Amino acid sequence: MPRWNRLWASVALSAPIPYVAQAQTYLTEEQAQQAIFPGVTLEQAFRRLDRNERKTIEKDARDRFLSDEIKRWRGPHGETLYVDRVIGKHEFITYAVGLTAAGEVKAIEIMDYRETYGHEIRRAAWRDTFKGKTVRDPVRIEKDIPNISGATLSSVHVTNGVHRLLLTHDWLHAHP
Amino acid sequence: MPILKRARPLLGTFVEIQLETTDRAQADRAFDAAFLAIEAVAKHMSFHSPMSDVSRLNAQAHLRPVRIHPDTWHVLQKACELAASSNGLFNIAIAPRLIRWGYLPDPFGRGKTEAVGQSADIRFLAGHRIRFRRPLHIDVGGIAKGFAVDQAVTALQAQGIRRGSVNAGGDLRVFGRREPLWIRHPRAPRRCTYLGDIHDQAAATSATYYSRRRRQGRIVTPLIGPRGARVMAGQSITVIAKTCMMADALTKVAALAGAAAEPLLKRYDARVYCVS
Repeated sequence: MPRWNRLWASVALSAPIPYVAQAQTYLTEEQAQQAIFPGVTLEQAFRRLDRNERKTIEKDARDRFLSDEIKRWRGPHGETLYVDRVIGKHEFITYAVGLTAAGEVKAIEIMDYRETYGHEIRRAAWRDTFKGKTVRDPVRIEKDIPNISGATLSSVHVTNGVHRLLLTHDWLHAHP
Repeated sequence: MPILKRARPLLGTFVEIQLETTDRAQADRAFDAAFLAIEAVAKHMSFHSPMSDVSRLNAQAHLRPVRIHPDTWHVLQKACELAASSNGLFNIAIAPRLIRWGYLPDPFGRGKTEAVGQSADIRFLAGHRIRFRRPLHIDVGGIAKGFAVDQAVTALQAQGIRRGSVNAGGDLRVFGRREPLWIRHPRAPRRCTYLGDIHDQAAATSATYYSRRRRQGRIVTPLIGPRGARVMAGQSITVIAKTCMMADALTKVAALAGAAAEPLLKRYDARVYCVS
């Protein structure tokens, strides 16, 4: 184990800190539309998929729909925008993806994220960090997120979501 | 001045860009230019993409010289310079071990038999061409992520942005303003600790809280030193430096060498914090 001298800054874990759920909003739906398709007027074209339709698409997908409603907008030249939500390791992420008329990804923008609370966490290992906390414990939503150095999370959940939306896009094209 | 923020999934993580301006059109152009700069680095230096410079080098450079993009050339030169000045502690040719431990995919099926190479096996030829003295698996993931952050900052500044920051999965750089720097606590990574303020500097943190795995009954991490020495879990090292590329690269050296890394860090005008 490497030894440290005066460069050492040691921080104790024991200080009582209320649990803080981080949340951040980058773009509203309208801002996301403008960011991905600037100057384009998009028309809302939402679709609801029933359970069988979702399961059909999920067969080739790497994740699942969180909602039965597909939030979709269409532009005058075949552009399409989807807004979708995924669960990361321990956060909900809303994002927008714009597709060209050829059905290729033009851009992906993260719209917002919110860290999950203890009772929302799926993976048992992470629930340990909430030992002793219940739903009634105070949870503060921290909106003023400082710049944090240190591994954040993988974007794989968002890219899996985009993959599912591309499958959905093809399916909707075949089932107008 | 209002701080505008955008984030996109890139480099396998989330890249968040912040900039200060009242001109929305300038902001849009600046965000696009900066994210494009990140995508360019990802395209050239990804270990995962078969057409990247890194993949082409790993596949062919031991057979014939391979021409690469000037940016990749720059990163490789810096990597080899640091390998020399750190006596091999910094080594981008350790991919075979990372493959065996499941941290990297094995695109050529060589991971199980390939020996760990040395940065000294990389030869720099005229015309941005590289030749390997023997089969190597190089992975510039960390240092390239830092370089991507630096490129994004350059792009923002070229668009006239004077104050902002870029944060690529924890490798970050702040320019034109003073900002508090926080890190995740190594043993409770959902909690953060304030380290100090940075101003026109970059920071990178090496820690194992999200990358530890169990292998044959022992905990392993992707931080590997010479003779296979494994960095202890439960600590994190943050390096503050002028550029994000150097901050990231130096975290590896600092994690492995501890206090012995001091002279090297001084040479690169960097400082380090160890938290456990």
